[in-house]
Amino acid sequence: MIETTIITWIIAIFGAITFLPLFVAQLVMIFKPNSQKAKDLIIGKGEDWRDKTHYKSALAFAWADLIIMLPLYVLGTIWVFNGQLWGYIIWISLGFLSIYFSIVFWVFEKEYTYKSVGCIAYFTYFWGFFLYWGIGAIIHSVIQMSI
Amino acid sequence: MALLRKDIGRYPLGIWVALIALTLILLAWIMQAYSLLDWEGAIRLGIQNESFSGEAAERAIADVERGIAIADILWALPITIIAYIGLLRKKIIGFIAAMMVFGVCVYFPLFYAFRLSMNFEIVLAAIFLWAIPSLLGIYGLWINRNLFNTN
Repeated sequence: MIETTIITWIIAIFGAITFLPLFVAQLVMIFKPNSQKAKDLIIGKGEDWRDKTHYKSALAFAWADLIIMLPLYVLGTIWVFNGQLWGYIIWISLGFLSIYFSIVFWVFEKEYTYKSVGCIAYFTYFWGFFLYWGIGAIIHSVIQMSI
Repeated sequence: MALLRKDIGRYPLGIWVALIALTLILLAWIMQAYSLLDWEGAIRLGIQNESFSGEAAERAIADVERGIAIADILWALPITIIAYIGLLRKKIIGFIAAMMVFGVCVYFPLFYAFRLSMNFEIVLAAIFLWAIPSLLGIYGLWINRNLFNTN
């Protein structure tokens, strides 16, 4: 049984702030992929798919996020608050994926998204939060598991 | 599946399955490293699909693939090495690192399958070489989780 701390709560709440908008956006992408709402959420306000390939990539990321990332986030958070070791292991795995995608999106999306949403939005909720959450979750989980 | 708990040499079969999956994944990272060194050569070998010298749509998707290749080399490759060494030494860090790597290797074949524009052979290769071995690796490690110590 691993006791939760104030940091655990901060990471869980920060995780909700970071991932829930992503999951909502991905749900909109799956159910209404060609709506302006989906384009506003995924690409940026008033933007359009650059081509069919761009659209299909976004749809594929939406499916993969909801099949892999959403269950990991929900299961991990439930188990962490139940004091189970496996919750932290799942948080570490999700943190790894989160940092991984931060690198992927930094390379291929920054050129378009950064210009579209601006510096503050990009380095916070559009991109930065995922990197910060990944680093925070991994460090906190390792510390919790080693106590 | 009690079979995956059966000892074969130094490790149970489930751990061997995870090690084999990691070996296959290491091959993927070698292909990604080669792609970053010579992208057009990687296309000729069938490792990559989209060229930077093609039309705008093709260049855009090549950008995505390059982003994935860079993330694989900078982040996933070192974690895979930690997983390999950690599993061989039966350390919990190896267990955790392997789970992280397997997570990525299930995610991306799914991404490729849903993208639809991907060459079908590459999708099949990704599913059979990485997704299925990763799922077996996750299961093999999970049922042998008591072997891993935290020291």
